[in-house]
Amino acid sequence: MIGPGATLRRCLGEPRVQAGGALMIVLLLVAVFAPILAPHDPGDQDLLRTLAPPVWTFGGDWSYPLGTDSLGRDVLSRLIFGARVAMRVALFAALGAAALGSALALIAGYYGGWADWIIGRAVDVWMSFPPVILSLILMVGFGAGLNNVIVAIIIVDWTRFCRVVRSEVMTVTKRDYIPAARLAGFTHMQVILKEIVPAVTPLLLTLVSIEMGIAVVVEAILSFVGLSVEPDVAAWGVMIADARQSMYEAPWSLVAPVFAIFVSVLAANLLGDGLRRSVDPRLAQRLVVVR
Amino acid sequence: MLLDVADLNVTVGLPAGRVAVLRDISFTVEPGRILGLVGESGAGKSMIGRVVAGLLPPAFRATARRFSFHGQELLDLSPTRKRALLGDRIAFIPQEPLSALNPVRTVGSQFEEHLARLGVPRGQRRARTAQALGEVRLARPERLLDLYPFQLSGGMCQRVLIAMAFSSDPALVVADEPTTALDVTTQAHIVSLIRKLQEAHNTGVLFITHDLRLAAHLCDEILVLYAGDAVERGPAKAVFGEPRHPYTRALKQATPSLTGPRRRLEALPDVMPGIEALGAMPGCRFASRCPIADPQCARAFAPLAEVGENHWVRGTRLCTSGATGTVSREALPRVQPQAADGTVLRLDRVAKIYGGRRSLWRKRFPVTAVQGASFSIASGEAVGVVGESGCGKSTLARLIMGLEAPSSGSIELGGIDMTLPSPFWRRRIQLAQMIFQDPASALNPRRRVGNLVTQSLETKGRTAGHVERRQRALALLRDTGLPEGLLPRFPAQLSGGQRQRVNIARALCAEPRLLIADEIVSGLDVSVQAQILNLLQRLRREHGVALVFISHDLSVVRYLCERVLVMHDGKIVETGPTEEVFSAPTHPYTRALLAAVPPDDIARPWPSDRDRETIS
Repeated sequence: MIGPGATLRRCLGEPRVQAGGALMIVLLLVAVFAPILAPHDPGDQDLLRTLAPPVWTFGGDWSYPLGTDSLGRDVLSRLIFGARVAMRVALFAALGAAALGSALALIAGYYGGWADWIIGRAVDVWMSFPPVILSLILMVGFGAGLNNVIVAIIIVDWTRFCRVVRSEVMTVTKRDYIPAARLAGFTHMQVILKEIVPAVTPLLLTLVSIEMGIAVVVEAILSFVGLSVEPDVAAWGVMIADARQSMYEAPWSLVAPVFAIFVSVLAANLLGDGLRRSVDPRLAQRLVVVR
Repeated sequence: MLLDVADLNVTVGLPAGRVAVLRDISFTVEPGRILGLVGESGAGKSMIGRVVAGLLPPAFRATARRFSFHGQELLDLSPTRKRALLGDRIAFIPQEPLSALNPVRTVGSQFEEHLARLGVPRGQRRARTAQALGEVRLARPERLLDLYPFQLSGGMCQRVLIAMAFSSDPALVVADEPTTALDVTTQAHIVSLIRKLQEAHNTGVLFITHDLRLAAHLCDEILVLYAGDAVERGPAKAVFGEPRHPYTRALKQATPSLTGPRRRLEALPDVMPGIEALGAMPGCRFASRCPIADPQCARAFAPLAEVGENHWVRGTRLCTSGATGTVSREALPRVQPQAADGTVLRLDRVAKIYGGRRSLWRKRFPVTAVQGASFSIASGEAVGVVGESGCGKSTLARLIMGLEAPSSGSIELGGIDMTLPSPFWRRRIQLAQMIFQDPASALNPRRRVGNLVTQSLETKGRTAGHVERRQRALALLRDTGLPEGLLPRFPAQLSGGQRQRVNIARALCAEPRLLIADEIVSGLDVSVQAQILNLLQRLRREHGVALVFISHDLSVVRYLCERVLVMHDGKIVETGPTEEVFSAPTHPYTRALLAAVPPDDIARPWPSDRDRETIS
């Protein structure tokens, strides 16, 4: 009933985790199997049928279920391939930011002293930059490309992890089982890896999940202004940018990517919120009594 | 009659059904008398206080044949009428004085708010507050009014709260473990203060405590609770002097004494059942731990029987006659230090000073935690370190263990100079191990018991195989009296006593020659404390390990240690063989410490009237 196994079970029993996790898995599967699922190549243009309406409206056609954009490209296929970009950025940027941020947080929180001071001030300075502007500047410097987007997001967002994880590390470090592990002969590295990291992992999972949503939005912003992927790659931000000119005639090509972003951020936030609820002892008040 | 309670029952709804947390509790409190509610944690003693306050947690329900205060039924009272009564006619003294006061408001403003509620006109409040604070012997009360609670000591805060409780001249005061969070000498002051005020105001007091000896000295009547049952009730002298119920007897026998011959403590097996287990216990809830129980005990709920004048016991004829299975008068075997092996530990003028360096903006004043500590410990010897909180005893432990480096002086462990933590760290942790105070914090909640106790086999260069670890873990569990079945459990699944055993087992894994135990029994109930003390005695005998036993409880130190160091303000003020120091203390601080402990002989007046001075 108690222990790590129970935490996992509690997580899986939480409706938010179930809903968010299911959505996230669907999105990931769509991204992975995009070439099989998409009816068309995302770059194929059907210039005879530009701005086609979706199937359920007058003049709709099953060959383009969500219609086409101003260049006659299939909106559904672009949406499906856009998920590849979004999910790759979400996954790798969130994990990268988590790795960088929590590595520094572990050093700052465990060793304290001047290491903590330096890392703490670095976070302060970093967080005083407006994040979107900072990522735009970085992208201008790096040039377009998916990997550069990921690196930019990591560089902008590691502070989020560093702040929160550091305070958690400090709480754990104050517990007596840390000196006890030292007395069992653990080196500092072993103490960090075997005692502290497992203790902050639940929190980290929560933060990663929320960061995935943030990364999707940041990538969309960058591709909207044309600073993210190469122009020939289908991304949700690019789709929104392209649909702007024709949004009055063909609102669906705008609504579809916006909805996709909305669903992925919702999935990430639901998952994160659910995880937080089930791992945070202050919220996981399991009342044994019945009234 | 002030408070008259007959057949109080409190039930709670659990998934398995309604369970009685308190069963048929009856007692009375007369004006000017003190009733002690005594029991270990989970016995339901605080629950009674909560019923009086009307502060039962959700899902708990109280019913009683009679629960009257001055003839008013408290349980039926409307919330408005009850609110008028509480804080005015019925006052409370809480357990944690520091958390009972609001840290962001001054003592004066909180006190005056209380007076405003009592209807004292604005103009008189400040003067009344100062007067009330003077009554609890706080020096210069006017100055205290503008201080914040965190600027006062725990004892001073408790005095403020006592002054508040008595300011309305209440008829009844409920004091829930008012001295548990305080030091022994402060406890003596607070207890004498409560008694003085209670006598002056002719107040009835419901005094909730886990300490039978303290209750025997302070109270007129005692009610002993076990798992929600009143097992014994009677005049304090009779209950403590001639306890009848096996549980009361066990409680008394499990407490080590400060005088007389040192006897082996009779430790009860197991622990008190938790709320979840109570549903399946229709009969005597003590039966499973009782030395004289018969099969009938667990089935039938015995009535109260009068065994002496106003002395009631719940149980079978065997219980009421006061018979226990075995009356142990077994003398405690002395553990002979193996002087031949020489000294394990030698400290020479060790000092630890915190802070004191100039930071960028302000000068930090240094704090001396330990000063000029010099002593040595022979192999196999047990040395007690006693003193009040903040005297530097925990810092001393951390210095010996190498968790901190001393500011000056030298530490020698096993003949090697180990003043600084790092150079011989491996050798050091093989020689000495530490048992931490709070097992809930010292055991990683994510590791299983088997993994925890063999943690030291996990380190670099000694990656022991699974089989070896399991065997070592089993041996350690056997050594510390834990069942094998606990191996795959997590700490959260263990009781407090079991956790402390796991804590001890882990320290033993590396087979150290010196164990440093920092207040390891202070968080435990008396009966569990006795189990752990006996375990430590056995381990010393079997393993010949030396022990530095840090405690604020003098009687526990007397039970375990041949030699004692008394610490005060970071200095060792007195040292010598335990019996000598305790029977003929030379330093005034040692004398004060000893005088603060309630004596086993209840005929001796305690606290002595020497504690009349005011504190500033």
